[in-house]
Amino acid sequence: MSLRLLSVDSSDRGSQRCRLGPGLMSALGLGLGSPLLVSVPGGSCLCTAWPRADLAEGFLQMDLKCSSPNLIFYPPSQLCLDPGQLTPVPCPKLKHVKITVVVQSVDFKKHTPPRLVHELVKDMLKGVYVHNKHVINLMDFDTEIRYVVIESIDLESSSAGLITSKTGLEITGIQTVRHYWSQLQGHHTVPVGGLDEVSASLREMLQLPLLYPATLNSLGVSCPRGVLLQGPPGVGKTLLVRKVVGEVGASLVVVRGPEVVGSRPGESEEKLRAVFERARSAAEEGPCVLFLDELDSLCPKRTGSSAPENRLVAQLLTLMDGMNQSDRFLIIGATNRPDSLDPALRRPGRFDREVIIGAPTLQQREAILSVLSARMPVSPSVDMAELAQRTTGYVGADLSALCREAAMHAIRENSKSSGEQVVGMQHFQEALKAVGPSCLRGSLGRTELCPLSWDQIGGLDEVKLKLKQSIEWPMLYPEAFVRLGLCRPRGVLLYGPPGCAKTTLVKAAAGSTHCAFLSVGGADLYSPYVGDSEKALAQLFRQARACAPCILFLDEIDSLIGSRSNNQTPNSVQTRLLSVLLNEMDGIGLKTLERRGTEKILQAEGAEENSTQKQLECQEVCNKEVMVVAATNRPDCLDSALLRPGRLTHIVCLQARLCILRVCTQSMPVCADVCLEELAAKTELYSGADLENLCKEAALLALQEENMEASTIKHTYFLRSLGHMRPSLTAQQIQSYQKHPR
Amino acid sequence: MSKPALLSLHQALRKCFQNLENNQKVWESMLTECSPLMVSLGNLAEQSRALSNIQISNTPLKDFPDLEERLRFKLQLSTDTVLGKLNENMSSLQSVRDSISNQVSAVVHLYEQNADILDLLTVTERSATGPSVSDMMGWLHDAERHFRQQFLRRKTVLQSLRPDDLSLLESAPKRWKSLESPSAGDHIRDTLCKVHFFIESQ
Repeated sequence: MSLRLLSVDSSDRGSQRCRLGPGLMSALGLGLGSPLLVSVPGGSCLCTAWPRADLAEGFLQMDLKCSSPNLIFYPPSQLCLDPGQLTPVPCPKLKHVKITVVVQSVDFKKHTPPRLVHELVKDMLKGVYVHNKHVINLMDFDTEIRYVVIESIDLESSSAGLITSKTGLEITGIQTVRHYWSQLQGHHTVPVGGLDEVSASLREMLQLPLLYPATLNSLGVSCPRGVLLQGPPGVGKTLLVRKVVGEVGASLVVVRGPEVVGSRPGESEEKLRAVFERARSAAEEGPCVLFLDELDSLCPKRTGSSAPENRLVAQLLTLMDGMNQSDRFLIIGATNRPDSLDPALRRPGRFDREVIIGAPTLQQREAILSVLSARMPVSPSVDMAELAQRTTGYVGADLSALCREAAMHAIRENSKSSGEQVVGMQHFQEALKAVGPSCLRGSLGRTELCPLSWDQIGGLDEVKLKLKQSIEWPMLYPEAFVRLGLCRPRGVLLYGPPGCAKTTLVKAAAGSTHCAFLSVGGADLYSPYVGDSEKALAQLFRQARACAPCILFLDEIDSLIGSRSNNQTPNSVQTRLLSVLLNEMDGIGLKTLERRGTEKILQAEGAEENSTQKQLECQEVCNKEVMVVAATNRPDCLDSALLRPGRLTHIVCLQARLCILRVCTQSMPVCADVCLEELAAKTELYSGADLENLCKEAALLALQEENMEASTIKHTYFLRSLGHMRPSLTAQQIQSYQKHPR
Repeated sequence: MSKPALLSLHQALRKCFQNLENNQKVWESMLTECSPLMVSLGNLAEQSRALSNIQISNTPLKDFPDLEERLRFKLQLSTDTVLGKLNENMSSLQSVRDSISNQVSAVVHLYEQNADILDLLTVTERSATGPSVSDMMGWLHDAERHFRQQFLRRKTVLQSLRPDDLSLLESAPKRWKSLESPSAGDHIRDTLCKVHFFIESQ
């Protein structure tokens, strides 16, 4: 027979009673008010047994006056219990108990004399059965004293006992409810993947002053008290802080920018002071973190004369300076726009440390994915390493969106055919199409591509090989590149006569690798404002680097970017764009904010170094740079600086006509008498586009002649349409391309 | 064999309920005595607040020497008197609470002594005129808990008062009043009604 657990009657609340059927009571050998330990999932509860008023069997109602700490947060409900989970426990009278008192407010703790707390608690606990390490809920008294934690009781034989008026109480500490809860909830932390180093350093900053206060004092230094976390949106700054706080068991005071700002003058400053005061009082009970999320909104650069924000910034600065040695709380600020912070905030003494969390690297992504998918039923066919490789530029938030989307796909599919709920690789692939990296959202050159395979381009085997070498190989065989000391080329310039599949080649290259693809033309960049185009180009490179490896395609580069040598106006937009491009391709280094992954942080605990060295190198080869692919049919118009070795590798595109004809006629029902070799021989100086046009004309001619009933295209049609056409290239052009452009 | 034990337990319960009835009356009368005292406490707090808000040197009363100190002393003295009276009332409330507690624990003790003889069937047996022993013991526990809670809450209100915090003093009458729970008092009256026949049936 099982017992159904019902919620407790309101009249029984706070009475520590457990109502059960009289039959069960006599079976367990219980009298009225005998102590009884009820074990439920997640903890246990000590009650006194009473028969139900209606004497019905099969139900159980218990008041959680004395229960395991877990049950306070997650009270058991809708449970069926086995009678074996009820055990009578002997409860002798206690002589001595050690307790911790949990009170509601800090004020009460500060202003109430210990004698009074002792007196009140003693009154409240009289006649209560207590269990070692349990929490006594005193909410029903409706005073400031909320809980009492039983730290230890003086009995060896039994773990439970009865408190009488003769029991000696020793209060070992008084905590506030907020602190007690945060301590308890520390055990339920959220898993975070890939941020181990940063979280270790944050934990160290929190724990060092608490564990070794004497050491720090003897060294005469103060531990850093301010950390500024910066990184692009979605890398997990907020989550990281919550995790570390949970692990250390510190209490967390969160300030969100808009909450602090008030409408009346002086109100915002007042609220900010109140927050610091709250953190200070919380720090008296244990480690505490004051977390300023979205710091840029709270503390922008001070401009102008008397903007109201200036006063808020000044208040924050003075509050941070006003923290003295005894205030043992850590301030963590998080922002994704560190440039817009007030510079005064970033000096040592305020935010001592700046931790940059970049977009996750390959290994970090793998770690994040494995954490995210840990609770999903993922089929064994899913290769997290491959998924991590394909998600370059994705931050933690993107990856979690990806997993969610994959799960949604799995649900949709399984609802059709009722199978087991398993998320497979195909679902992830579907999700990859829908979820893009957030750093590319709203980007200038984001383009939708229809995937194109290399085989769909006729001829050009040499060019294809070169493109593969520079784009695919570094991603696929990073070890080989490291072994031979190779580095990836920075860019490729495709040049050739018009209509020789330059753009199509780039499309295929982008499709065959899984890297991000950005394409810009002149229309995207030009703007009537001075300096705007350059800014847009620099921004484009920044975004491309954020999701590297990335292919940046500049079509018709000759019109986009001028040449300095033969230009009449030396300061035109084109030349300025050229200088931006040269800088971005060959710049002295990256900005600190664009760093990938996290920096190495020195820690008191030494970290292992060399084992990961090799892996990091390999990763660098894949992740390093943005690949610039430019296409032009006028290479002579380009600036010599752009063409020097090391910047753009030149690839000339001159196609074999026979191959083009083969590819073009593949989908056409060509008559058996068609001799492509002959056509190829007759079409000298025809470009790829010309040849495609030729095939089209021949097909149209066939339709015209045979009145829509044509089923094949005869050789004569090809020859006749060839008669109408003229090649678009000249021999001179071809020669000029075959020469080296410089 | 369980008959004499049950009878003596019944006797103890009867005594206990009678005692509860008397004590309940004492308790209520004590509370009615307390409420004007609390009101005057609030008045005194209000006067002290008014005194600290005014600058006597700016008023026609400035010629009187040390007026502010004297007034403050007088107010504090009368606050002290009121608090002393409240304290006396509190100790009578405490004695009521203790007497109920002692009675209840005596009954529980008597039951525990005879717990082996009195099986659950006996203690849960009800009749038309008398509730079962377990019900009555439960009600006694409830009543005892009620008095303990009430006493503790009122004591906390008084103990948390501080001379330097006028707002606490001002809000004390309101908080005192909010502690009255008519439903709990009704509950005890209900209980006494339920056991009326049982008490009479000697």
